[in-house]
Amino acid sequence: MSNLSNIWVIFKREYTTRITNKTFIIMTFLAPFLIAGFYALAIYIAVSDEQETDIQTVLVSDQSKQLQLSDFSNYKLLPAPDYEYPQQRVDSAKAFVNRGICYAWLQINDQDLTSLDSTTLYSVEAPSLTQMESINQWIKNQTKEKQLLRFGIRPSTLDSLDVSGSVRLMEISESGVASNSSSGLKSGIGFILAFLIYMFIFMYGAAVMRGAFEEKNNRIVEVIISSVKPFQLMMGKILGIAAVGLTQVAAWVILILALGVIGGSVFGSQKMTQFKQQTSAISMDSAFASAGIPASEQPAVNSNPVAKMDSLAELFSGTESIPAGEILLIFVLYFIGGYLLYASMFAAIGAAVNQETETSQFMLPITLPLVLSFIIAQSVAIKAPNGSTAELFSMIPFTSPIIMVVRAPFGVPISQLILSFSLLVLTFVLMVWLTSKIYRIGILSYGKKPTWADLWKWIRQ
Amino acid sequence: MTSIITATNVCKKFGNQEVSKHISLELNPGEIYGLLGPNGAGKTTLIRMLATITQPDSGEILFNGAPLIPEHSQRMGYMPEERGLYKKMSVADQLLFFAQLRGMSQSEAKTKVKYWLDRLGMLDWAKKKIEEISKGMAQKVQFVSCIMHKPELLILDEPFSGFDPVNADLIKELILELQSEGCSILFSTHRMDNVEDLCNRIGIIHKGEKVMDGSISEIKRSHFTQKYDIGFHEAIASDNVPDTAIKSWKTNDGRTMYRFQTSDSFTPNNLLEWSTKQNNPMVYFSEYIPNIHDIFVDTVEKKSNHNAINHE
Repeated sequence: MSNLSNIWVIFKREYTTRITNKTFIIMTFLAPFLIAGFYALAIYIAVSDEQETDIQTVLVSDQSKQLQLSDFSNYKLLPAPDYEYPQQRVDSAKAFVNRGICYAWLQINDQDLTSLDSTTLYSVEAPSLTQMESINQWIKNQTKEKQLLRFGIRPSTLDSLDVSGSVRLMEISESGVASNSSSGLKSGIGFILAFLIYMFIFMYGAAVMRGAFEEKNNRIVEVIISSVKPFQLMMGKILGIAAVGLTQVAAWVILILALGVIGGSVFGSQKMTQFKQQTSAISMDSAFASAGIPASEQPAVNSNPVAKMDSLAELFSGTESIPAGEILLIFVLYFIGGYLLYASMFAAIGAAVNQETETSQFMLPITLPLVLSFIIAQSVAIKAPNGSTAELFSMIPFTSPIIMVVRAPFGVPISQLILSFSLLVLTFVLMVWLTSKIYRIGILSYGKKPTWADLWKWIRQ
Repeated sequence: MTSIITATNVCKKFGNQEVSKHISLELNPGEIYGLLGPNGAGKTTLIRMLATITQPDSGEILFNGAPLIPEHSQRMGYMPEERGLYKKMSVADQLLFFAQLRGMSQSEAKTKVKYWLDRLGMLDWAKKKIEEISKGMAQKVQFVSCIMHKPELLILDEPFSGFDPVNADLIKELILELQSEGCSILFSTHRMDNVEDLCNRIGIIHKGEKVMDGSISEIKRSHFTQKYDIGFHEAIASDNVPDTAIKSWKTNDGRTMYRFQTSDSFTPNNLLEWSTKQNNPMVYFSEYIPNIHDIFVDTVEKKSNHNAINHE
């Protein structure tokens, strides 16, 4: 029996049993809804958080006498009783806060308010970073307005001086054609694709590991091994599960597109314009799912250091510069390459251990680069997709599947793509060669818990 | 005629522990060979080497006269002791999978699977997953999965463990049927009840060594020890029993039995002569032929004592 037909029989078994599995079918149909629901919930919590906090009384002892006490955020500002000596003020601040008469005591000591260094907030519980920032902003805005008025400028005049809108990006392709572009959309696409690869490698890599472990543990492998070589068994399994994963992703894409069409016709373009005004400060990855949140729930002060982003409507006007075909090709190649590289490692671990609990000690070389590349994808790659860090990690085969996909929408020089992908394929071949040696011996070895030294011995055998 | 399996001086160590010590054995075509031995004797280790799952550290194994290589296992059927099938796969799919792995085409495999499910009376269960059927049924499925491709050699590790008597008989019947079709079978067991009516030859393994092998009749003959059993309606006064009697017991139906050790000075004829003088009707007289169980226990015990003495 030829090698290929053996791999084919194993492949077919892996594919059909998993694809007909009830959990798989349910997950395939539910996951897009679950993910959308999860994001909606996360955004709802993030947005409604500040609204739900109780109104807190803050006593303000303002020695500069410049501030007008107005309520902001969830703070109700009231003037504090005044005292002659600074020490008295501090003592009563402590006493007031301690006895719960007020939530906090804001002591402003600087007479001309040129600096906030001598301003203190006394409070029993530490306010959040956001709350502290909003207090700072409140004082700064007030003083700024005062100063402006002194120069005879009304704040509304100043606002009218602000240039509206944002710079439109036109990308010039090699053929000289200019097209609309959107960095936010590109980051979004890159990040979502990277997340898919990350999730896929973990989910299906673990499935490969469990499969190998199951076959070893119930001795099926001893029966199979008389007909297939361990290498064929491993490859058939890895490829079969890859096909399952691709099927699932394809199903998700179709479902999400269908949901998008339905969602689009429900919301319509009118809602879209309305939405445009609301989303100016929502972080990038939440933008897509936030469509259902009414404007009133927008936080009054949003000082989170989030990546500011174009509104969704503008976003989609920038689609024409996205090289969809190229991105898809890069995604599929790195998706498969990355999965194969890691799945072979997962398979070797599943074959080496005798108990599922023993897997954890060998997981580090898998989880470390994957988590690292995901962190890099979140920060560096989005901020500087063609920077040196991103370039470096998109060359290293263990991180390139995730980093390269983040970079893909921004355009990656073809020479870098060729080098990076060749390195990935080369490492994959090397890794399969190494792991199949571990697999070959591990899958038939029972007894004591294997060590790294054992694995090394198996590789050299 | 070339032996189907010829093992010579096969040794295997796990760490410092020698689990096979210079084991040699031969399996002739069409023969059923029983590998006996207590738990931990090294039966499974030997079987795994014969099934090409592991390789011996030293020694040689020939398959039909050629050095054993993994490719030969395609012509074997092997059932490990720890049974396992894919839990989430249906009975029919499972059998189809194994048949196709053994090189059958899809349609060929389908016909075979249908035949065997019919034969096991499991046609109604074909679509059930393994986790949904009883353990006994799963074991039958597994047995069939390793004989569907008509192997030249069938290797079974403890094939009867976990079977109820009805299913054990079914497996025995299938083994004998395979033998009549020319298949050679080697199986291990630590229970003797299946051995005598199934095996042509047996080998006893103890602590990694083969301590005995041969045909059942040969082995029995070698254990003929000139002992005779004689039975009477009622017990005989102990003063009248010669001291060549080594054992006496009462049967379920009330007879009293005596076992005598005969020798040149006290022949079976002397024994009969003595019996005629008793005032008590003799109802049974026979040479004592040890069964395989007794021989096994006897051999293993002797070996253990021998080792113990050597160690001291």
